[in-house]
Amino acid sequence: MLQNNKPTITFIVCSAFLLIIGLFLALSLGVTPIGISEIWESIFNYSEALELMLIRDVRIPRVLSVIFVGGILGVIGAMIQGVTRNPIAEPSLLGVSQGATLVIAIFYAVGITINTSNVMLASLIGAIFSGAIAIGFISRKENKSSITKILLAGTAMSTFFISLTTIIGLLSNRAQFIAFWVAGGFRNATWSDFRLVAVVGTIGLIIAILLSKKINVLSLGDDVAISLGENPERIRLIAFLVMIPMCAAAVAVGKNIGFVGLIVPQIVRKALGEDYRKNILCSFLLGAVLLVYSDIAARMIYIPYEAPIGIFTALIGVPFFIAVARRERG
Amino acid sequence: MKKRSIRKVALVLLILLVAAIILYLSWGTYRVSPTDIIKTLMGRGARLQNAAILNLRLPRMLVAISVGIALSTAGALLQTITKNELADSGIIGINAGAAVAAVVFISLKTANYYSTLGALSVYVLPFLATAGAGLSATLMYLLSSRNGIKPRRLLLIGLGINAGLNAFITFFTFRGGVGDYNRVLVWISGSLWGAGWSYAKIIVPLVAIMFVLVLLNYKKLDVLNLSDGNATSLGVQVDKERKRFLTYAVILAGSATAFAGNVSFIGLIAPNIARRVVGPFHKNLLVISAIIGVVITLVADAVSRNLFSPIELPVGITISVFGVPYFIYLMMREN
Amino acid sequence: MEAIRVENLSVAYENNLIIENMNLSFPKGKISIVIGANGCGKSTLLKSIGRVIKPIGGEIFINGKNIKNQKEKNIATQVAFLPQGPTAPSGITVKELVAYGRYPHQKIIGGLKAHDKDVIQWAIEETGLSDFADREIENLSGGQRQRAWIAMTLAQETDIIMLDEPTTYLDMSYQLEILQLLEKLNREKNITIIMVLHELNNACRFANNIIGLKKGKIVFKGTPKEAITEENLREIYGIEVNLQLSENKAYPICIDYELIRG
Repeated sequence: MLQNNKPTITFIVCSAFLLIIGLFLALSLGVTPIGISEIWESIFNYSEALELMLIRDVRIPRVLSVIFVGGILGVIGAMIQGVTRNPIAEPSLLGVSQGATLVIAIFYAVGITINTSNVMLASLIGAIFSGAIAIGFISRKENKSSITKILLAGTAMSTFFISLTTIIGLLSNRAQFIAFWVAGGFRNATWSDFRLVAVVGTIGLIIAILLSKKINVLSLGDDVAISLGENPERIRLIAFLVMIPMCAAAVAVGKNIGFVGLIVPQIVRKALGEDYRKNILCSFLLGAVLLVYSDIAARMIYIPYEAPIGIFTALIGVPFFIAVARRERG
Repeated sequence: MKKRSIRKVALVLLILLVAAIILYLSWGTYRVSPTDIIKTLMGRGARLQNAAILNLRLPRMLVAISVGIALSTAGALLQTITKNELADSGIIGINAGAAVAAVVFISLKTANYYSTLGALSVYVLPFLATAGAGLSATLMYLLSSRNGIKPRRLLLIGLGINAGLNAFITFFTFRGGVGDYNRVLVWISGSLWGAGWSYAKIIVPLVAIMFVLVLLNYKKLDVLNLSDGNATSLGVQVDKERKRFLTYAVILAGSATAFAGNVSFIGLIAPNIARRVVGPFHKNLLVISAIIGVVITLVADAVSRNLFSPIELPVGITISVFGVPYFIYLMMREN
Repeated sequence: MEAIRVENLSVAYENNLIIENMNLSFPKGKISIVIGANGCGKSTLLKSIGRVIKPIGGEIFINGKNIKNQKEKNIATQVAFLPQGPTAPSGITVKELVAYGRYPHQKIIGGLKAHDKDVIQWAIEETGLSDFADREIENLSGGQRQRAWIAMTLAQETDIIMLDEPTTYLDMSYQLEILQLLEKLNREKNITIIMVLHELNNACRFANNIIGLKKGKIVFKGTPKEAITEENLREIYGIEVNLQLSENKAYPICIDYELIRG
């Protein structure tokens, strides 16, 4: 096992490298381009200069939030795929992100003030609810091997939630706001947002890495796992209990971003194999890289306007999805 | 799952249909009683009634009826082709393809609401939309054919294409900045807002012709319900016929989407209910499913227009809200 | 007189060449059974003749005429093909399933004519399903359901019927039911039967003409008594067999076998 560490280390180093470059690009590019020396200064010297405040209060929290949300989504994707043995399992494809969005929309329409903790609460309620439905569906014996069925149900649920969200948006005359939520974006990311995803993300990552050995065993099939002394149902339950708050946090801060959890684990698996002890960490890194560059693209492509970030993840995600679908026996 | 006599079913459905029509024409900001409806239709109504019924509700109703027929028939065809009861032109991205074509065309032609399209454009729109739907269907077909089409794979790939195209529509309509979300909604969720005589004139004959064309092929469609080996043994060129019926489905779905945006789930619900009530043979299935599709569309649109008046919900959203639970129910039953 | 003949037939499936330059003919009025190990090409052969798979080379002749020159529906009135594991929409009755068989004889519009109904009736009687005509096929036993499918192929009114593993997944009694039915049809109505079978002893018992394939090539053909020898079986299955003649001395039975060591 140990002699295979070289590809993993290469992967981690490359991802970290890309991440750091991405970080700097994210901080300097934008409507107001800012040079590297100024970035340096703003971090280390407190100053009232407008540009430096821009860096400190807007871009830094934003890019840090993006990193953690991307990482969270990557880890969730890896965990779900490992635990359900299903390459297409992903929170946005299963309707979970959309369920969280719905409850957020309800909170907003009802008039609850929008701050990080309220949004997280709403998101959590929604994620629990829709997560339970998704889990319930995946666990039914008949559905275990049918990817088509799970996807269809997921598509249906996400359509359902988005429809309800839209109705709420229209009725409360907040359609524009809702649209922005549905499409995903980090426009108003604040420091408290960052704190949320940093805490949830780090704890989640640690737990996921601790679980990873058990997830490896699960990949042999439930029957074999049981005969090896593991309890598949319990592993799945714990995994889901971890994933739901992570997903909720990701939606609360990044809103509705799809496909990351689909793409990232696939790439990591292709590159490094099926060992989840390595894959979980690498999925975190790759997810972060993916999202950082997507956010840069979202900010820059229609400058000075912002495009929804979900489009870029979809751009990469859909071909992936189709490639996976082509390999399936249905 | 009892199969009832087709006559009783048709009778019940026709009653429902008439009730739906009456509901549709009478419900609104300006209420019109059923007797007045008949008077107006016969040309003896008051001016306000004429305006409400003849200029607004009647043409919109005709478009709604055509959309209902078109989408339910397209759905039935897709379900036979993919051998999957859960196929629907909205879910697998055919509608989305049409919507993309329409959105691009309209934003090139006008900067404003689509209702200000010139007269000629209204004729061109369904063709373009059908072309868009066709492209999407072709893409789906090509991507899923590895040594021949595996029907199940078609569905899965359709889902992916749908996601991609919807992302594109969002992208395209957001490009001006915050953008007009209502416009996006119309295309992504389907709405009959603004459907007037200019639309009805085109879509009604188009759908009528296509429907009859499909219905004439009921026997071949029945044979396609069997496994490929059997169908070939009985003399049907399976691949060729599947492509042909896919084309019909594309034309139907494209036309509907051109005028009503992406309405999902009618093509799923109507044929499924019909199949449970009258069985899988297409002669009855297509007709019953069309009637059911019409009833659903009419009721949904009446509700969408009036429930939260003056705010109008896109009809596709109303149908989704009721369609999804039924869809999940169907999936649970499929075992 | 040949019912079906293939000349220089080459068939590939998912980039693998399964059959290469095969020449084979199936005599009219006889029961021909194709046997061989998994992947030897026996199903592929039937599927190519049944037009489910397109061959990459060679010609196929049905009743002496090249199938490339004939219309699909025309071919369908000469050869009926029952694939492995056929599926039908749920909820249809035996009668409705058998009615499908009339499709090649029907016009585009129009229901079942009197003759059609007669043929359907006959097919149901021949297969012994008269009591079940209105029952849904899901509610039949395995043997009965397979009989219903055979009734459908009968209703096609062809004089050649091809079946791909019609008895796999059936219990022994059902297997015998089906094979004896096919034997009766061959004997009484002179219908040419071409089958792929998995079970060696069934093949020996019912075949007039038995063909053994290995890796897409013909290893032996002839009557069971001539062609089923220890050597031939060793060749196609890789087993050592112990053969004996049946009670009535008409066909060989394999009473025991071992894997070849080494």
